[in-house]
Amino acid sequence: MPTLVLEAILLLALIIITMAVIFNRDLLIVIITYCAFSFIAMFLYIVMGAPDVAFTEAVIGVISTIYFIITLKKIDRRCK
Amino acid sequence: MMRKVIGILLIVLGLGYVFVSFDFLPAIGDSSAPAHKHVSDYYIENALKDTNSPNLVTAVLADYRGFDTLLETTVMFSAGVCVVMILGSKSPLRKRYLVPKEILKGKPYGGIPAYKTVNKDVMTTLIEILILLYAIYVLLHGEVGPGGGFQAGALIALAYIVNVMVAPDIKPLFKFTKINAVAAAGIGVFIYAFTGLLTMFAGGAFLEYGKLPFPIPENDLHPVGIMMIETGVAIGVMATIITILIAIIERVRFDDDRN
Repeated sequence: MPTLVLEAILLLALIIITMAVIFNRDLLIVIITYCAFSFIAMFLYIVMGAPDVAFTEAVIGVISTIYFIITLKKIDRRCK
Repeated sequence: MMRKVIGILLIVLGLGYVFVSFDFLPAIGDSSAPAHKHVSDYYIENALKDTNSPNLVTAVLADYRGFDTLLETTVMFSAGVCVVMILGSKSPLRKRYLVPKEILKGKPYGGIPAYKTVNKDVMTTLIEILILLYAIYVLLHGEVGPGGGFQAGALIALAYIVNVMVAPDIKPLFKFTKINAVAAAGIGVFIYAFTGLLTMFAGGAFLEYGKLPFPIPENDLHPVGIMMIETGVAIGVMATIITILIAIIERVRFDDDRN
């Protein structure tokens, strides 16, 4: 049962982070919040017992955040 | 207004369906779940004997489902090629007009930037060495613990990204251009396919590691074969990530097609 509670907390955090990603206007904040999304997803994979997938998620979450930030340097930070 | 109401109704209906059907889902790790009825028992009982690899995930990914992984590597390679074709097909950089950034114009300057407060050259060298050591550990240890070729390749690419982004003054061991990176990704896929071809030359089926033409006992051939394809996957993933990085960096602006 504690695993279920932990999963519920993590899933709620995922939903809240997704809301923040959708409703934010500052793209830098969106990117960093999206990084937090992949971090929480990593914990969710660990709780579900898939360390291989969690490992991949951790590494790829970092790399995709770097890609987004490089792209953000070349466009305007706020959307209209 | 009407569209909003319909949208909210659809969301409520979908959530209700999810919550109702939640009760019918099998529990995590339930051995009597429908997904675990067919081949799972065979894998769990025979994986160690068949493949000589203690990590079940590696055994399934690299041995039982070797064709899947080969085609996944190919898909990733073609993704890198597509990114280069889409982002790199513009005219040369000097011909284009660079629009100055509007953001932060007239904003107050907020003190010393964070990157000036540490000696970044020393820090980068230390961090890169640690990342590379960890990548090699993950690659060689992938049969026993979590990890493997994909993660090791991503970690090596991460070290390269750190070098390019944080300390461009330090010369990296291998300097990748765009064409070199695509070629390296192709080499990674080739190593994988070549392992399969080697087993075919020695008289086995494609990717049948027990028939590899090396003078060692047959039990040890499976780890050797898995290590060969993991190396191929690692090189492919590393080169694809570096390819996408170079393609993004070389593009001057993304929204310049409008103005």
